[in-house]
Amino acid sequence: MKKVLVADDATFMRTSLRMMLERNGFEVVGEAENGLVAVNKYKEMNPDIVTMDITMPICDGIKAVQMIKEYDPNAKIIMISSMGQECFVKEAIISGAKGFIVKPFKEDYVIETLAKL
Amino acid sequence: MSEVINEIQELVEDTQKGRYLTFAIGKEFYGIEIKYVTEIINIQKITEVPELPSYIKGIINLRGKIIPVLDVRLRFKKEAKEYNDRTCIVVVDIEDISVGLIVDSVSEVTSITENDIVPPPDANTGFSNKYIKGIGKVGDEVKLLLDCSKLLSDEDCDSLAKITQ
Amino acid sequence: MTDNMDREPMLEMFIFETYQLIDQLEQALLSFEKGAGFEASINEIFRIMHTIKGSAAMMLFDNISTLAHSMEDLFFYLREERPENVEPSKIIDIVFEGVDFIKAETAKIESGLEPDGNSEQLKEKALEYLQHLKNSNPSSDNAKYEAKKEGTKESHENVEQKYYISSSKNTQKLMTNKYEAIIFFEDGCEMENIRAFSVVHDLESVAEIISYVPEDVMENSDSVQTIRDKGFKVVFKTDLGLDEVKDRLYHTVLLKDLQVFLTDDDLEGFEFIENKEIDVEQKEAQSNTEKKNIVLDDINEEQIKDFDKKSESGKASLENVKEQLKTVGKQSVISVNIAKLDLLMDLVGELVISGAMVTQNPDLKGLTLNNFSKAARQLNKITGELQDIVMSIRMVPLSMTFQKMNRIVRDMSKKLDKSVELEIIGEETEVDKNIIERITDPLIHLIRNSIDHGIERSDERLEKGKNPTGKLVLEARNAGGEVWIIVKDDGKGLNREKILERARVNGLIHKPEAELTDREIYSFIFLPGFSTKENVTEFSGRGVGMDIVTKNIEMVGGSVQIDSIPGEGTTFLIKFPLTLAIIDGMIIAVGCNKYTIPTIAILESFRVKNEAVIEDENGNEMIMVRGECYPVVRLHRRFGIDTEVTDFNEGIMIMLESEGKRRCIFADELLGEQQVVVKALPKYIKKVNAIAGCTLLGDGDISLILDIDDIIQ
Repeated sequence: MKKVLVADDATFMRTSLRMMLERNGFEVVGEAENGLVAVNKYKEMNPDIVTMDITMPICDGIKAVQMIKEYDPNAKIIMISSMGQECFVKEAIISGAKGFIVKPFKEDYVIETLAKL
Repeated sequence: MSEVINEIQELVEDTQKGRYLTFAIGKEFYGIEIKYVTEIINIQKITEVPELPSYIKGIINLRGKIIPVLDVRLRFKKEAKEYNDRTCIVVVDIEDISVGLIVDSVSEVTSITENDIVPPPDANTGFSNKYIKGIGKVGDEVKLLLDCSKLLSDEDCDSLAKITQ
Repeated sequence: MTDNMDREPMLEMFIFETYQLIDQLEQALLSFEKGAGFEASINEIFRIMHTIKGSAAMMLFDNISTLAHSMEDLFFYLREERPENVEPSKIIDIVFEGVDFIKAETAKIESGLEPDGNSEQLKEKALEYLQHLKNSNPSSDNAKYEAKKEGTKESHENVEQKYYISSSKNTQKLMTNKYEAIIFFEDGCEMENIRAFSVVHDLESVAEIISYVPEDVMENSDSVQTIRDKGFKVVFKTDLGLDEVKDRLYHTVLLKDLQVFLTDDDLEGFEFIENKEIDVEQKEAQSNTEKKNIVLDDINEEQIKDFDKKSESGKASLENVKEQLKTVGKQSVISVNIAKLDLLMDLVGELVISGAMVTQNPDLKGLTLNNFSKAARQLNKITGELQDIVMSIRMVPLSMTFQKMNRIVRDMSKKLDKSVELEIIGEETEVDKNIIERITDPLIHLIRNSIDHGIERSDERLEKGKNPTGKLVLEARNAGGEVWIIVKDDGKGLNREKILERARVNGLIHKPEAELTDREIYSFIFLPGFSTKENVTEFSGRGVGMDIVTKNIEMVGGSVQIDSIPGEGTTFLIKFPLTLAIIDGMIIAVGCNKYTIPTIAILESFRVKNEAVIEDENGNEMIMVRGECYPVVRLHRRFGIDTEVTDFNEGIMIMLESEGKRRCIFADELLGEQQVVVKALPKYIKKVNAIAGCTLLGDGDISLILDIDDIIQ
C-alpha cells in the first residue's frame, strides 16, 4: 500500500483527501498543517507520495517542495492548487512536483493522479 | 412487571395512539398515555431535597441520570402510604423533562378507543381532580386518564419558585 | 464534490472549521484595525479567505466560495503591492460584511438549510475597492502585480530559460527519432495549459523539444480552450523508441487520448524545410537566452545579496517561526461531538457505580480477601482517574467567547459613535462546555447594554472629568468553587429612581420600598415585566428585556448580581456553580442524608460542648471561638431532617467562610473527603435555597452539595 503524507492548512481539506485516499487503497501516514511540518514529517516518515497544498502558513507549498526535493530528489509530490494559481503550479513543477490537482477536485482525478506516479 | 416492560417495548414499533399504561392508587385505576412512559422501575432510595412541596419526594439516580420523583398519591392529596414491593416508579418524559411518578402498583397496558373515553364530570359536581382529562372504560372497569403536563404543570413550578425565593 | 464522497461528516467538519476560521479572521481583522502587525494580518486574512474559498468550493457552496475569492484577490493585492493610500477601516468594513455573510450562510448550512444568500453585491464591493486601489496606485506597480499574479514572471521565466539551455545542451547528443504527439486531457481536469507545460517539462529530460501548439501555453489563457478543443501538439526529437515514448506519455496524468506519430525528416521535404527554419529560430532563441542568462546572473547576484540581508534578519524570523510553531502546537486539538462526551461521561459515571457495587458487595462482608482488596483499590484508582479526565475534557477556556466580544464592542462603539476600550482579564479560565454555550448571548447583551446605556459620549465624559474613552472590563476568575464572570463599565451607572418608578408602575415591588436594598432595586431590570422601552435602540433594545440574560444564566444554574454607583459605573457579576465540574468535597451526614461541602469553603471542623453554644433572646444560637462569636446553623433544622444527633456533644461543628463572612454549621458527622462531580439538580426542581447541585457517590447514592453563599447570607 502506498504511503501518503497530506499537507494542507485546512483540516477540512486534509480530511477530504484522507477519506478519498483511504477509500482507494492508499495509506495516509501523516498530515501536516504547514510546509515546515510537511518537510519534517517527510524526513521522518519517508512517504511514497506527498500531496501538497500551495497556500499554507509559515512555509508555503512551493518552498516545501524545494526543501523536500533537496533532501530527496526522488520525492513524489502532487500539488493541490486552486484555479488562478497556474503560475505557482508551474513553479512547483519546475521545482520538481510530479503533478497537480485542481480544487475543487474529483475523486477519480485525484486517484488517477496519485496512481500514475 | 417485566412483562409490562416487554409489552411496552413491543409497542414502540406499533402506533402508540390510544394505548395507556394503567396503574393503581388505592382503589382507583389511572391511565397515562404510553408515549410519555420511558421506563418502569422498582422503588429505590430517594434523596430528599429540602424546601420542596411534600409531593416531590426528592431525586433518584437513574443510571447516572438524576431525576425528580413525585408521589402521585400525595399529588392527589390522598393520604401517604408506606412503600412496599408493589410500589413502582413510572418514569415519564414530558416536554423534555424526565420525572418519576410513584404509584401503588402498575397493572397493564391497554387500548382505549376514543369512543370509550368520556370527559370528566364538571368541577361543580364535586369532582375535584383537575389532573384528569378523561374517563376511559375498559370492560366493566373505569380508568381515570391523566393529563401528564398538568401533573407537572407550571403553576406548581411557580409556586415552587416562590417557596425558594 | 463527487457523489461517492461522504458528505455528512465532511459537512460537519466544514461547518466547524469555517466557524473556527471566521473567529480567527475576526481576530486578525481587529488586530489589523489596531494597526498591530499589519503585514501579518494581511497575510493571515489572505490565507483564511483562500482556505474558505477552497473548502466552500469543495462543498459546492458557490456563493461563499466566490465571495471569499474576491476577498482573497483584494488581500493578495494588498500583500503583494502594499499600496499606499489604503483606508484600513474601509477594507475592514468590507471584510466584516463578508464575514457576516459567510457566518450567516454557514449557520444556514448548520441548521440544514440551503445556503441561498446572494453574495454578488458584497463581491462587487470588494472588487470595486480593489479596482479603486489599482487605479489610484502607479500603473507600473500594477504591472508588477499582474506579473506576480500571472506567475511572478520575471524570476520564473529565468528558471525556465535555464532549463531550456540545459536541455538544448542535450541536443549535442544525436537525437535520431522525431515524433509528433497529440495529447487530450480529461474533461474538467482544469489548468490544461499547465498540464501541457508539465508534459513538455517532462519530455525535456529525454528529448529535444522542437515545437508545440499552442505555443503560448503559459502566457495566453486562451490556450486552455485550444488544448481542450484541438488537443496539445508537441514535436520533439529523442533517442527513445516509439513504444518507450508512448509509455512515457501514457503516464501523463488525466490523459484522455494520445496519438504519437513517428515523423521522418527525409521523407517529407516540406517539413524538413520547416524544421530548418525552426532550427534557425532555435539558434536565435538560443543566443537570446544566453544573453538573458547574463542578465539573469546579475539578478542572481542581487538576489544573493538580498538573501544575505534576509539571513541577517534570519534569526528574528527563526524565532518567529519557533513562536508560530509553538502556537501551532497548542492548537493540536481534535473536535469531538459533545453528545459523545456526554455519553462517555454518563458511562464513566455508571462504571464508577458498578465498580463500587462489586468492590463493596454485601456478599463479601466479613471475608478477608487481601488480593481482592488490592485489586479493588487499583480499580477504584483507575476509574477515579478516568472520571477526572472525562470531566476535564469538557472544560473549555473562555477565551474564544471573550474574544468575540471585541467585535461587539467595535461595532457598537462605531455605530453609536462612542469611544470604548475593552479590557479582557482571565480569559484562560476554564468552564464547562455547557456554560460556554449559555454564556455568549447574555454577555453580548450585557456588553451592548453597557455601551448603549452606560458609557457616555466622549464630550459628556470630558465634561464630567472622565477619560474620554470609556472602559469596559470583562473578567473571569475562579472564586471559592465558583466561576465568576464580571462585566464592568465606567459609565454613568444605573438610575435608581427611574428603576424604582418603573418597578412600581409594573407592579413588581412586593415589599415595603424602604426595605429594598440598592442591589434588589437594580435587580428589577432582570425581571420579565421590566422593560425600559424609551431606551430601545437598534442594539440593546430589540424589544427583548434583560430577563433573557437571567433566563440563560439560570438555565445552567448561575445567578447575576448588579452593583452600580451613580456617575462611576455598573458592574454585573455572573456566578456559576460548578455545574458538571469536579470539586474537592467533604461528605457529611445528617440523619440518613449525605451532604457535600466544597472543601475550599471549610476553615475547620471541631467538636464542641453544649455549654460553648450561647442562645440569644430570639433563639439564635452562637458559638465563641477564640474570642469571636459565630452564628450556628443546625443543618437538621434548616432542612427539616429527622436525626438522632441533636445534641452538640454528639455531632460536629464545621466553620465555613464565603466572601469574608463566617458561620458554623452543625452536622451529625464527617464521612470523608473526596473529589465529586457536580451535577445540576433536575430542571423540574429549579433552584433550591442552600443547595448548589448534587453529586453521585461511589455507592450510587446522591449527595446534595451545599450552597455556602446561601447558608452564610
